[in-house]
Amino acid sequence: MDDRRNELKKIIMDTKTLPTLPGVINKLNTLSNDDKSSVQEMARIVSADQVLSARILRLANSPSYGFYRVSTISNAMILLGVNVVKSLALSSSIFEIMEKNSVGLWEHSLGTATAAGIIARKLAIPEVEEITTAGLLHDIGKVIIGLKCVEQMPEIRRMIKMDELYVIDAEKTVLDTDHAEVGGWLSKSWFLPEKLSEPIACHHNVIASEDHRVKTSVVHLADVLIKASGFGDSGDSYVPPVQQIAWETLKLDESLLKEIIVELEDKLVEVKNFSLELQVA
Amino acid sequence: MSQSRIALISTQIPLSSMLQLRLQSKGYQVMVVDKTTAALGAFYSDPPDLIIVDFSSPCIGCHDMLFMVRSDSFFSPIPIIGIFPASDEQESWEDFPLDDFVTIPFNFTELSSRITLSLSRIKRIFDNNPLTRLPGNTSIHRAIEESMGLPLAVCYVDINHFKPYNDVFGFSHGDEVIRMLARIISNTVRESGGGFSGHVGGDDFVFIVPRERAEQVCTTIINHFDQIVQTLFDEETKQLGYYNALNRRGEKEQMPILAISIAVVPMDSPTITHAARVAEVAADLKKLAKGNNGSSFVVDRRTKAAE
Repeated sequence: MDDRRNELKKIIMDTKTLPTLPGVINKLNTLSNDDKSSVQEMARIVSADQVLSARILRLANSPSYGFYRVSTISNAMILLGVNVVKSLALSSSIFEIMEKNSVGLWEHSLGTATAAGIIARKLAIPEVEEITTAGLLHDIGKVIIGLKCVEQMPEIRRMIKMDELYVIDAEKTVLDTDHAEVGGWLSKSWFLPEKLSEPIACHHNVIASEDHRVKTSVVHLADVLIKASGFGDSGDSYVPPVQQIAWETLKLDESLLKEIIVELEDKLVEVKNFSLELQVA
Repeated sequence: MSQSRIALISTQIPLSSMLQLRLQSKGYQVMVVDKTTAALGAFYSDPPDLIIVDFSSPCIGCHDMLFMVRSDSFFSPIPIIGIFPASDEQESWEDFPLDDFVTIPFNFTELSSRITLSLSRIKRIFDNNPLTRLPGNTSIHRAIEESMGLPLAVCYVDINHFKPYNDVFGFSHGDEVIRMLARIISNTVRESGGGFSGHVGGDDFVFIVPRERAEQVCTTIINHFDQIVQTLFDEETKQLGYYNALNRRGEKEQMPILAISIAVVPMDSPTITHAARVAEVAADLKKLAKGNNGSSFVVDRRTKAAE
């Protein structure tokens, strides 16, 4: 078991790129080169895609540039330049087989990013864009597990269905690790700043986060709310409870939560349209 | 001497694996790329010291990729060597932004010598600033001379209160700010339609753009710098708008969050009588810009030559 875990960790340390949806790449391909509006459109598409965002942040934080803490796509675009971002995005590989659940996970990530942004603004928490990015990337571990643990996936899926387990518990049983830990490893090896890596690694266990507990709590809550809304497909059939520590950290109450949910429901209609637009691209 | 890293772009596996082996035996680290679409991503995340491109077999997207490498100041100094099939036909070199070439069938000793020469040439002629890789003073002086009397604006950029930031946060963070500003300036100039960007040294930069674009470029550089600089300070400092540092007399003083000043000198103005005058005019304008709080730019609008 331990071997499997170490083996997976080693694979992740060697992972330099991850595939994304064909529609995203096609859409980027159709944007013209020197048009202001297409630069904004490019930023919008890139910041809606967890894999592209992670790759661009990896580059912006890589030692060859010497920047230490680039945690948003808009800052990465300023520092790397539009041309670098575009050619990096277009050099992405795509999912060879378009799996239904990769679209579901893509929507879940985008939904969580949206929810995280709404929560952060509502609670007047600083660094909204960083929190949104952390929300977008929180399940990046699932992309890697889906890609690198092809043999174990049927068993994980069977346990989720038959034994009624959460994804994270099925992963732990079969892989001796889980997507949160795997995502944490990837964010370390891709030089992502801690304000992103900690929420990614701790979104299922908020108490384990030390330096960025507020951001982690927001991402955790956003993840739960999106699961409850039925938007996208995280792989879980059941909605996990909001962890007490997150509730306390954010000083939530029911009326605040209600306002957040109302705003989120409205916004998700727009997000769904955007997602459909990219899928037909 | 540390191992030089060579990226080898070729779709012919027998050729690339043979070359890879022979180059490795010479002590080079070799990265083989067989898809040009993947090449840029690989270069950007891990820049090689030299690139070899095989044009002896179809190389789809190779030209675009080479032009992309050449158009970014950070990557443009990387030497590129092309491999061509033997033929009497003269290549149109404008289409090949290369530094050198070899023809097939090639003599490996020759290729190896060309690699060594390319790498040493780049060290010798490198005027670029090692921290930012932007062109240095020799190139800046030439660019200013060449823009005399033309409808261009020479713009001098520097960071306000940079020394105390360096003292409080350390040189490595100071260097990071310099690198960030360098990228912001060169990206903005390039995305505005092109121009010249150079690094005088320390926190002093120069860029040259057409006169009518100067204000827009200055505004974008300032907005981008002000946005990026937010990430360098903690929440408390951002709320307060200052941090504590010691001033030149060793007294505690409140230092504002980093900002930049830009002096814009139109080169077709009568105040510019000779190239050395540009820096003097800029120095006067800088004093005006520094009188403002936060980032700002000042344009020279005087219509008469100073006495």
